[in-house]
Amino acid sequence: MPVVTKDFVPVLVATGGSTRAHKAVAPRFRAGDHVLVRTMNPEHHTRLPRYVRGKRGIVEQDHGVFVFPDTAAHAQGEKPQHVYSVRFTARELWGSQAPERDTLRLDLWDDYLDLVV
Amino acid sequence: MSDHSHTAPPSDPELRIKALESLLAEKQLIDPAAVDAIIETYETKIGPRNGARVVARAWVDPEYKARLLADATKAIAELGFTGVQGEDMLVIENTDEVHNVVVCTLCSCYPWPTLGLPPVWYKAAPYRARVVSDPRGVLLEFGTRISDDVEVRVWDSNAELRYLVLPQRPAGTEGWTETQLAELVSRDSMIGTTVVPPPAQGAAS
Amino acid sequence: MNGVHDLGGMHGFGAINPEPNEPVFHHDWERRVFGIMIATFGGGHYNVDQFRHAIERMGAVEYLSGSYYEHWLSSLETLLTERGVITQAELDARRAQLARETP
Repeated sequence: MPVVTKDFVPVLVATGGSTRAHKAVAPRFRAGDHVLVRTMNPEHHTRLPRYVRGKRGIVEQDHGVFVFPDTAAHAQGEKPQHVYSVRFTARELWGSQAPERDTLRLDLWDDYLDLVV
Repeated sequence: MSDHSHTAPPSDPELRIKALESLLAEKQLIDPAAVDAIIETYETKIGPRNGARVVARAWVDPEYKARLLADATKAIAELGFTGVQGEDMLVIENTDEVHNVVVCTLCSCYPWPTLGLPPVWYKAAPYRARVVSDPRGVLLEFGTRISDDVEVRVWDSNAELRYLVLPQRPAGTEGWTETQLAELVSRDSMIGTTVVPPPAQGAAS
Repeated sequence: MNGVHDLGGMHGFGAINPEPNEPVFHHDWERRVFGIMIATFGGGHYNVDQFRHAIERMGAVEYLSGSYYEHWLSSLETLLTERGVITQAELDARRAQLARETP
């Protein structure tokens, strides 16, 4: 394993480590699509919070292709795929008592979503 | 997945990190001088003054603001702020119609190059649990009241995109320099828990 | 995993209580934890997803009662022993030695 030296610290800090994957992967969705977040019960690492599973949202933006944490956390490969900013209304998530105008945005990988036709 | 079981750690984190660091150093797996440099960098060199400069530049320069909203990573890098936990940035603009607020419900994801390391409250359970379901109540705890005809938009940074709020420029700052404007911009206004209030009468300018 | 870290929407945690003008680190041990995490991450011992998952594996009670950098410390101990970078026996021995030396 390489050892980070004092001289390398400024380079490390300024460069970081993006998990953006420069791979040509076809997106499953595009802006404007209505999506249903998958219901799942993973015992593995995931970045899909429970509060949004099974909820309906709208794809606002495609962020591009990134490493998939659900596999990368378990040495099962990077499985690069698109990540989308998905919009949910507060009422969809929290019920009819939530303020009508309010919304929430989450960044969701292809594997977390299905298209609502 | 594997259930990691190990001997219960002693209750003293000071002892635990001393043990870990000394072993890693002996095995030459870390360079203690590098560890010191990392600490110094994030304790003294990187902080929300960086983000305040981005905001102030956007307030005075409409073309910069346009670049910032189109490709935040690149525009922020123009000011020299790049790297760890800021590799893929998005800037979200507060307007008369939308008030943005950022959280990481799952852990503590935060845009380090522009804001430094996050405060304890951002990383702790009360904020992470409540801001997604009651953002207006949370904002009230910070003294921020958002009108009912404004949309509150919560951004849960659960992936590797990092979010910086561009607060609205307050009234009473016409003709101010970028440096003066940057001094007004608080860390909390770039998270979205506060706004930037108009300056006190007779301030700056 | 459906761990207690998945906090969005939960009730019962009380007021947010932001500390005014809080320091970046509240204790020296927090500084060391932070620095060692970045150094070992930069050295490629684990990726960010593994680091987070090791925190999630802490156990619900430990997670909620631990402070933020205690989460990091727990994750470092877990990952570095799981990967055989250090052994649990070495860690235990060093802790015992330091405990004896500490006045």
